[in-house]
Amino acid sequence: MADAPATAVSERADATLFSAFTLSATFWLLFATAVGLLLSFKFPYPDLATSPFLSFGRLRAIHTNGTFYGWASIALTGCVLYVAAKTSGTAIKGKAFAWLGLICYNIAAICGTVTLDLGINYGDQEYREWVWWVKLIFVAALALTGTSLVRTVAERVEREIYISNWYLIGGFVFTIIMSIIAFIPYYQYGMGQVAVQGYFMHNAVGMWFTFLALGITYYALPKLLNRPIYSYALGVLGFWTNMIFYPLIGAHHFEFTPLPWWFQTLAIVFSVGMLVPVWAGSGNFFLTWRGHWETVRRSYALPFLVVGVIYYFLGSTQGTFEALRSVQIILHFTNFVIGHSHLTMYGFITFIAWGGIYALLPQITKKAPSLIATGLHFWLAFIGVTIYVISLSIGGVLQGLDWAAGNPFIVSVEAADPYWVARAVGGTMMFLAHCIFAYNVYLMTVGRRPAGATRALSGSQGASV
Amino acid sequence: MSGRGMNNVWAIVLSTALVYTVLSALMAVIPGITMSHMAPTPGLKPYTRQERLGRQVYVSEGCAYCHSQVVRPIREDAVYGRPSVGGDFVFQTPELLGDHRNGPDLTDIGERQPSTVWQLIHLWDPRALVNESIMPRYTWLFTVKARAAPGDVVVPVPPGFGPSTGVVVATKRALHLVDYLESLKQVPLTKSAVMK
Repeated sequence: MADAPATAVSERADATLFSAFTLSATFWLLFATAVGLLLSFKFPYPDLATSPFLSFGRLRAIHTNGTFYGWASIALTGCVLYVAAKTSGTAIKGKAFAWLGLICYNIAAICGTVTLDLGINYGDQEYREWVWWVKLIFVAALALTGTSLVRTVAERVEREIYISNWYLIGGFVFTIIMSIIAFIPYYQYGMGQVAVQGYFMHNAVGMWFTFLALGITYYALPKLLNRPIYSYALGVLGFWTNMIFYPLIGAHHFEFTPLPWWFQTLAIVFSVGMLVPVWAGSGNFFLTWRGHWETVRRSYALPFLVVGVIYYFLGSTQGTFEALRSVQIILHFTNFVIGHSHLTMYGFITFIAWGGIYALLPQITKKAPSLIATGLHFWLAFIGVTIYVISLSIGGVLQGLDWAAGNPFIVSVEAADPYWVARAVGGTMMFLAHCIFAYNVYLMTVGRRPAGATRALSGSQGASV
Repeated sequence: MSGRGMNNVWAIVLSTALVYTVLSALMAVIPGITMSHMAPTPGLKPYTRQERLGRQVYVSEGCAYCHSQVVRPIREDAVYGRPSVGGDFVFQTPELLGDHRNGPDLTDIGERQPSTVWQLIHLWDPRALVNESIMPRYTWLFTVKARAAPGDVVVPVPPGFGPSTGVVVATKRALHLVDYLESLKQVPLTKSAVMK
């Protein structure tokens, strides 16, 4: 893999495209996490902002869909196109498709937000609340940006397709298929819809964000460390096992429900099987690092990737144990699950997205972020999410134990209350981190500051095969 | 190390699409179709028009993010009713099983709390009835009027929880929602229903 000389013009056009994706993703991060912050304060202060348009029931879906389809999808897609171009030794191809895709992503997120706030939704089913025509715009965005991705890889200079691109292309293919399956309403009613919901809510996370984040890490990590990935074979193993096991495990969101018992058991068995791709992937990254941990201190981006990989390992392993029936009896329906979703979607996916942006964006825009701001961003987000996850984990266990003890429901509310306050504190730190990140994005894109002596940016050809 | 055979971009697109479509058919489409055609639990009635409208309010306001509607066959859930069976959900689209209990399960709430007045006061201000409750107020399901007109359903809000002047009148949406909540009653299982 080599960075083939692209013309200055196409390089500038790539930089503009990547910047546009990152800027609009950052807008959605700020918006959706401001909403999340308001929601977190509604637990200790339930009378806060009593209005239909600011109510918990409507804003919760706006927060989750905004972070999923606004922030994470757009941010990762921007990185994806850049990674595909770099690993193919070419410029981003089909830029018109990519631009149109970015517009569709944003139209979908805007329409989704407005309709949800008006109380118009597909049902209170996580991550598929958007009504079908909004979701259709989102699928169009996937198809358009996916076309740009596939064309870039197809028109590559390199003979081989780097492992990153398997993950990236796979992520787009899976997500288009799962969206079509989940959003055709004409065959799913009652428990049938529950079966599809279990499939969709889990696949939307694990076949989309996980694949994109891993694909980006397989490029950014060797690049920053300036050494090849530890094992190509582990990457291939992770790819196929993740692809085959993940679609089978969605029913673990509905254990002990009237879904067939064997269906639930199958989901649990393959949830344990997920340890294979998770440990293969995270192990591969750790082994690539081995003996080079001092690099973390000298880089803008590596600390984010370290946290992302560690939380990928922890969060996904935790997910396996949460799938066990004995654990579900206590923890299902509690706030422990919200802690888990932030450990993974934030600790893993969002940190990888930040690592990817800090690692890659300055390389093409030639504008560096502020060192102090990056440090503040990292520590606020890292400490914030750790407080968030630990407090909800404790609060969730207490809820579960109260229910197991047969206490009146309100006892579990009072038990969790102090931990909801702690969560709001963690959430405030996370939101502050996002404001600082937005400042850095400004510096890396439209800002005038010339690229400084950014040691992290000097790595080259690290991902050579 | 090379990915032999996988150096054609179309090989990646087609192989991933093929494998994923097969797995998705097995885990989502086929279960989705077969489980959509369960026999209703004997005695289960379809929703009335009011109950259906009320269910739409429930969905629209996102009640399911805090209130589940499924009883598991474990000791922890016994307080919410008998264990749910597939036939209970035949008329429930969109499904509202939920995956969080920031509030209690509502599968059988019509049986546990059959009072219309309680439900209306609770929707106006949950803390008027349960001091420690964290449920939001749904004040937009009500209108505050200087005086009630004929036919208005006036909510007897406890002192200190109502407006300083005037009366709280339930809107149609509030009444439909309460109709729906009161309809949430499990039908008893007969032996033959369980054996199915």
